[in-house]
Amino acid sequence: MLAQQLLNGLVVGGVYALFALGFTLVFGIHHLMNLAHGAVFMTGAFVALYTVLAGMPLWLGFVFAILACGLLSILIEVTAFRRLRKSGEAEFGAIISTLGAELIIVTFAQIVSGSDVLRFPFETFPVEIFEFAGLRVTLLQLFMLVSSLLLMLILTYYLYRTPLGTRIRSVSGNERASVLSGVNPNIIYYQTFFLSGALAGAAGVLIGLSFNSIQFAMGEPFLLRGFVVVVLGGMGSIPGAMVAGLLLGMLQTLTAAYLPAGLTDAIIFSLLFVILLVRPYGLFGKETAGAMRAER
Amino acid sequence: MSNFFTVYHHLFDVFLIGSGYALSQWVVMRAGVFSVATAGLASIGAYCAAILTTKLGWPHPLSILAGTLLGALTGLLLSVPLARLRGVFQAIATLAFVQIVVAIGLFSDSLTGGAIGLNAIPILIGTKENLLALLCTIYVMLAISATRVGRAFEAIRQDEAVASSLGVSVTFHQSLAFGLSGAIAGLFGGLEAFQTFTLFPNTYGFGLIVAALSYVVLGGRRSVAGPIVGTAILLILPEVSRPLADYRNALYGVIMMLVIAFMPRGIVDTGLLYFRRRRLAAKAAMESQQ
Amino acid sequence: MSALVIKSVSKHFGGVAAVSNVNMEVPSGKVTGLIGPNGAGKTTLINLITGVLTVSEGSIHFGAQDITEVPAYKVARAGISRTFQNIRLLAEASVIDNVMIGFYRNEKTTTPASLLGLPSARRETAALRDRANKLLERFGMSKFADQEAGGLAYGHQRRVEMMRALASEPALILLDEPVAGMNDVEAGELGEIFRGLAKDGMGVLLIEHNVRFVTNLCDFVYVLDSGRMIASGSPEQVVNDPAVITAYLGS
Repeated sequence: MLAQQLLNGLVVGGVYALFALGFTLVFGIHHLMNLAHGAVFMTGAFVALYTVLAGMPLWLGFVFAILACGLLSILIEVTAFRRLRKSGEAEFGAIISTLGAELIIVTFAQIVSGSDVLRFPFETFPVEIFEFAGLRVTLLQLFMLVSSLLLMLILTYYLYRTPLGTRIRSVSGNERASVLSGVNPNIIYYQTFFLSGALAGAAGVLIGLSFNSIQFAMGEPFLLRGFVVVVLGGMGSIPGAMVAGLLLGMLQTLTAAYLPAGLTDAIIFSLLFVILLVRPYGLFGKETAGAMRAER
Repeated sequence: MSNFFTVYHHLFDVFLIGSGYALSQWVVMRAGVFSVATAGLASIGAYCAAILTTKLGWPHPLSILAGTLLGALTGLLLSVPLARLRGVFQAIATLAFVQIVVAIGLFSDSLTGGAIGLNAIPILIGTKENLLALLCTIYVMLAISATRVGRAFEAIRQDEAVASSLGVSVTFHQSLAFGLSGAIAGLFGGLEAFQTFTLFPNTYGFGLIVAALSYVVLGGRRSVAGPIVGTAILLILPEVSRPLADYRNALYGVIMMLVIAFMPRGIVDTGLLYFRRRRLAAKAAMESQQ
Repeated sequence: MSALVIKSVSKHFGGVAAVSNVNMEVPSGKVTGLIGPNGAGKTTLINLITGVLTVSEGSIHFGAQDITEVPAYKVARAGISRTFQNIRLLAEASVIDNVMIGFYRNEKTTTPASLLGLPSARRETAALRDRANKLLERFGMSKFADQEAGGLAYGHQRRVEMMRALASEPALILLDEPVAGMNDVEAGELGEIFRGLAKDGMGVLLIEHNVRFVTNLCDFVYVLDSGRMIASGSPEQVVNDPAVITAYLGS
């Protein structure tokens, strides 16, 4: 029973990690919070769903979702961030303007869907159940786990092993340095936002398939959980987000399984609050990352 | 015609309560704290007042007073651990606080009614009381702005290092701002409880955070009039035309994006600045002629 | 009477010593200089005195009071004022408001009186406004009173910062490169003001890069290099000290 819960938690946690990675990537490199990230996630589920409803195969929906969300994320950068980057109050301003972007995207989705809860047609994803060592795992769960891990690997490879990724990391948070090294900062922004959005879109498709309940407000709880993951992992830390995502997934399934119903959210957000007080730079973040005030 | 009146009468009450929440949000930001706790503090005030009256039979003015005090106390308590954190991390921590309040409201249904709501709260508060509460709040905010505490807030908001180099205690004033924010949120939460019949935990969640923030950002973060004008505009706009009401949230979104990009000080503060600069320019022109 | 006494103060960041084993006295009624090449630890020392940073070792006394562990706002309340190396004004506030916040330390209004807007609180604000206007007059800045401080010319911003520090009527004022970017005439004018302050009994600590300005003005000079005090004495003694000459020419 415990092992089964841990396995289920791992599957959900992989998707949390995927979602939070995009959020933490933008924060780590540009020091900006993108509160429209949950809306991008929701858009991913919508794009895949409408592709399938239009009679096209699911894999194509997956590809479309990733592309569309990457582009949507770039659009958010251009409309919500670009002007603010030059002002002194980018940190505060970005929160307001991406919150605005979130409201716009969510309202649009609400109108498109007529506020209904939408579902993938039956057997869009083949229902197959495997059993081994007493554990039950569906093909969909395997697919979720494998694709989350795969996407995380691709991102890690891109950031740490390719020249483009190295460049992104080297200019992290420092536009002057990037200009000096001959990189147009906008190119860096396009790349990080595309990656960030693509990951959110993929997470949206996976969650849409797994719960098979897609609606315009589905991004908000994910955004809120995303905060838990990125803070637990350390704001801006890539490995931190991966580990913390998996941890949160398991914690959530365990509390849901063993504690009275309805207590999960209280526990998760109390955890977030306590981490911020005790260790605001998270498990993997650096103490110097600016979570704390300067001395005295 | 009487229908017209009742519709707009209700809107006026919503505006008065909304202005209260906006001022609660405004006063913490005035002291340089990026807190979004207003929604959670309002929830505490509302539930405290409603529970004391419906379950313990307290007279409603006393319940509202208790909600106000509990809001203030919660704000003060929150400020102590948050003093260590900076900027966005304060925002995330207070966001967590709001979510905890919502989750507890949903969970402890024997006390709060949970997701079904806390029902049968008598309707005992009307426009008169709302207006009186708002006017009192505005008076205190104006008094602060015109005297010592306001100067300390302003210094902290603009540069904490400068403020402390002049003897201003950042921790004390930010706690004070949190306490005031909690008192205002608790007061208006309590008032709202006695005019809605039912309370739901989710009323005081992410949506209220966004609303209170956007009132202040649109109106302005410096003058007392800012948050009130912001509330008025954002509440009235959707009433002006039906299509705007259908897209209310998108409209809020567009306004937030445009204001922060093109008028980051908000409508009122930008206007005041414009007139002040014009007056100074006119004065300078006069002096150069003489 | 010795106003400020610094004993064996050190400050480490990680393993690196920014300031090590510094001893120093800043008496009232005198202008004391602190010079040293860039990166010598001058500003770190100021931050240690004012309580922005905590010392790793040693002690700092101000009059009879031990201020070694005292936070910045309490150091200010004890009567130590400062200006910043890169001017820090409240850029969005008007010039007069920038000066008025300087009075904060000596204000009598209590917090409840301020919240309730009691007549006493409003009267004090009005009185402070008058005093600020007088101060502006003395510095020839009256016509800028209502302008946004952030929009002023550099030299005027320096004066506003100085007025703000003086408004708090400190017993000791720490001036972090107050004449940086000024020409000799402007610097000379400010120098006269500093002398006047010392004559009135205030302790003045002048942190400078400009050796000539310091030697003209100061009664006693300390020289800091790489976090250590390498020389101290009268201006003549110090500028002829071989260690000081090496420190300046060598850097």
